[in-house]
Amino acid sequence: MTILLNRLVQAAMVAIIVGVSTFAMMRALPGDAAYRIAAGRYGYDNVTAAAADAVRAELGLDAHWFPALLQWLGDLVRLDFGVSLVSGQPVMQEIVHQLGASLWLALAAVGLSLLMGPPLGILAGLRPGGLLDRVLLVVSTGLKSIPQFLMALILILSVQMGWLPAAGYGQSRHFILPALALALGLAAVNARITRDAMARITEMPFYRFAGWKGLRHGQVLRRHGLRNVAVPLLTYLGLQFVTLIEGVVVIETIVGWPGIGHALVHAVFARDVPMVQGTALVLGLGFVLINTVIDLTVRRIDPRGRT
Amino acid sequence: MSLLQLNEISVHDGATQLIAPVSLTLEPGVPLIILGETGSGKSLLAQAVMGTLPQGLTARGRITLGKDALDPAQPARFRALWGRRIAVLPQEPWLSLDPLMRAAPQIAETHHLVRGLTRSDAAAQAQKDLAALDLAAVGQRYPHELSGGMAQRVAIAAARAGGARIVIADEPTKGLDAARRDDVARLLLDALGRDGGLAVITHDLALAQMIGGQIIIMREGKVVEAGQTSAVFAAPTATYTRDLIAADPAHWPARSTLSMPVPGLAPAAPVVAAKGLSLSRGGQRLIEDLDIAVHPGRVLGITGPSGCGKSSLGDVLLGLLAPDAGAVTRAPGLPRTALQKLYQDPVAAFPPRRALGMTLADVAALHGARAQDIPAQMERLRLDPALLNRLPGAVSGGELQRLALLRVMLARPAFIFADEPTSRLDPITQREVITLLRKVATEDGVAVVLVSHDMALIDKTADRVVRLGLGGQEQAPVLQDAFAG
Repeated sequence: MTILLNRLVQAAMVAIIVGVSTFAMMRALPGDAAYRIAAGRYGYDNVTAAAADAVRAELGLDAHWFPALLQWLGDLVRLDFGVSLVSGQPVMQEIVHQLGASLWLALAAVGLSLLMGPPLGILAGLRPGGLLDRVLLVVSTGLKSIPQFLMALILILSVQMGWLPAAGYGQSRHFILPALALALGLAAVNARITRDAMARITEMPFYRFAGWKGLRHGQVLRRHGLRNVAVPLLTYLGLQFVTLIEGVVVIETIVGWPGIGHALVHAVFARDVPMVQGTALVLGLGFVLINTVIDLTVRRIDPRGRT
Repeated sequence: MSLLQLNEISVHDGATQLIAPVSLTLEPGVPLIILGETGSGKSLLAQAVMGTLPQGLTARGRITLGKDALDPAQPARFRALWGRRIAVLPQEPWLSLDPLMRAAPQIAETHHLVRGLTRSDAAAQAQKDLAALDLAAVGQRYPHELSGGMAQRVAIAAARAGGARIVIADEPTKGLDAARRDDVARLLLDALGRDGGLAVITHDLALAQMIGGQIIIMREGKVVEAGQTSAVFAAPTATYTRDLIAADPAHWPARSTLSMPVPGLAPAAPVVAAKGLSLSRGGQRLIEDLDIAVHPGRVLGITGPSGCGKSSLGDVLLGLLAPDAGAVTRAPGLPRTALQKLYQDPVAAFPPRRALGMTLADVAALHGARAQDIPAQMERLRLDPALLNRLPGAVSGGELQRLALLRVMLARPAFIFADEPTSRLDPITQREVITLLRKVATEDGVAVVLVSHDMALIDKTADRVVRLGLGGQEQAPVLQDAFAG
């Protein structure tokens, strides 16, 4: 219960911080914000004083900041993110559309990383100092130290051979490259986390004792190893979501993936503040939501945190 | 027919012989005790029988288990015997249960996976095992919800569920208080029954006497004495056995001969005093309205069962923990570093990958001690200077605890809180460390609070004794003054 309450407060804080900071951004746009937005909306050639005034009136840019802020936050509470300054579509509608694309990409990336990282980590952790362990250390450190944009570019170059489309959207084969670019970075780290947890657990008295009871290696691993490894791994997965968001923004932009990260970057360039606000809010709340789910899962597995 | 026979078992590290050939026999219904101090080879011998020797060590000889002959040089084949023929009781039962699994399934899985019962039969059998140990109500609890004693019984049930007749218990009473130790002895004897086999590896003389049966006493990889336990304790023939029995706190000379309080100097102001102290832990009131004072050069002993608040009381005196009520006063002008603590587990109290000499030199520099202070203290604590080049893991527990005492002395303390400083040491080493602690206190006028679950040790060492009961209320703290009368 306390977890849910804590996370609810956290979600509210995220919403307020995102709301206030986007409001401040809106007000602090260099030059006359009305002209900028009008330019974004109608194109630079079509900006007229009348258009700017219309924007100004529509967005209440003349009014005192405080009532405007309250109005802004009030809209937020009613989940009314307004309309995109660029497309004129309701922000909500655009985000729902893009979020879907991003979610699939993120899920594919996490799934792929979980297929690669933890199994290797478990094998390495069962024989710390062994060949696999040492190779994994070098490879994962290497992969982790490659920034994601570089990773995507490397992968794009490597598919110059024509095996995979470098960019595009709509078919399952379009998933492979961006998901792999994200997954390699995630797997590099969760392999290490798993390896350390596994190595630590095999040294624990209960792991040895399970063998003494007469259980075979595989039975000990399945019944006492995996569950104990899952606790630190799951906890870490929650933290990895930050890396994932960062990666989604970068990778989507590079491969032209019509997701929320792509939308965020475009909204920033176009000074489409309602869109920035909407996407930032969804990403922030998503972070809180994922961590809540993970907290609850970890608590189901690990009774020790319960009071 | 004997259950287990060891024929000329020896353990080697390359060309070095760690254990000289040992032969022994485990008979049904007769427990066997392997007694020795840390490093005596008693654990290596057990590991050779279980096939769990550390990498690089090899065992030779012949093991006969019932009708089967086994070659200890091929430890991989021993795993198949675990649980089925030989059950091993772990040293620390709490840590030996999977923290994420409820108690009953940890027993049931042995019935299911090792003995091959169906899932539901296994669960029913586990429940029966628990009921037989008076644990019927706790099967659905997780290990952290069990008391130490319950965990011990669950571990015993889990270890034996595979149907093994032979039980090997490795230091089953490590760090337990006297009452719990007696419980463990009873449990082990119950598990033995009439036709089971029981081998107990221990350094605890009291446990050995309670278990009885046959005993072998090991030292430096050799068997120094063997025979019937009661006979060996009544009339030890080997010098080492005699020393060992004399080192049992119950046989220590009375306190006054260990150190004489200097008459005329006695009424000094206390270094640390507490008035009207009350203390709770985890919502339970442990200590109620306690007055104590520790004087320079004196040892105040605190004793009581596990969980009675001994360590918490020490933390309050050190100023690390705030009491619920009452006041702690320290002699005026004492720097914080004059209050020092000696920890229970010396290995955990030193940085593991740093030579001891470097660690000590750092402490000396920090407290402005002179360079020659370390050698002087080394000599006083009877420590070999060569130890300074080693890592904490490479010296014995007794040496390391003396080095920990040395480190404390470098801070020029006025008050030392020694929290079970010898509970992990064997009797001879224990006596040595306690004697040195006592000597340091007297010579340097340091006030010492010594915590131990061993009442005999406290009675023979301390000038004053505080006995704490469980829960504060059951047994009010009794302050006994050794100088009374």
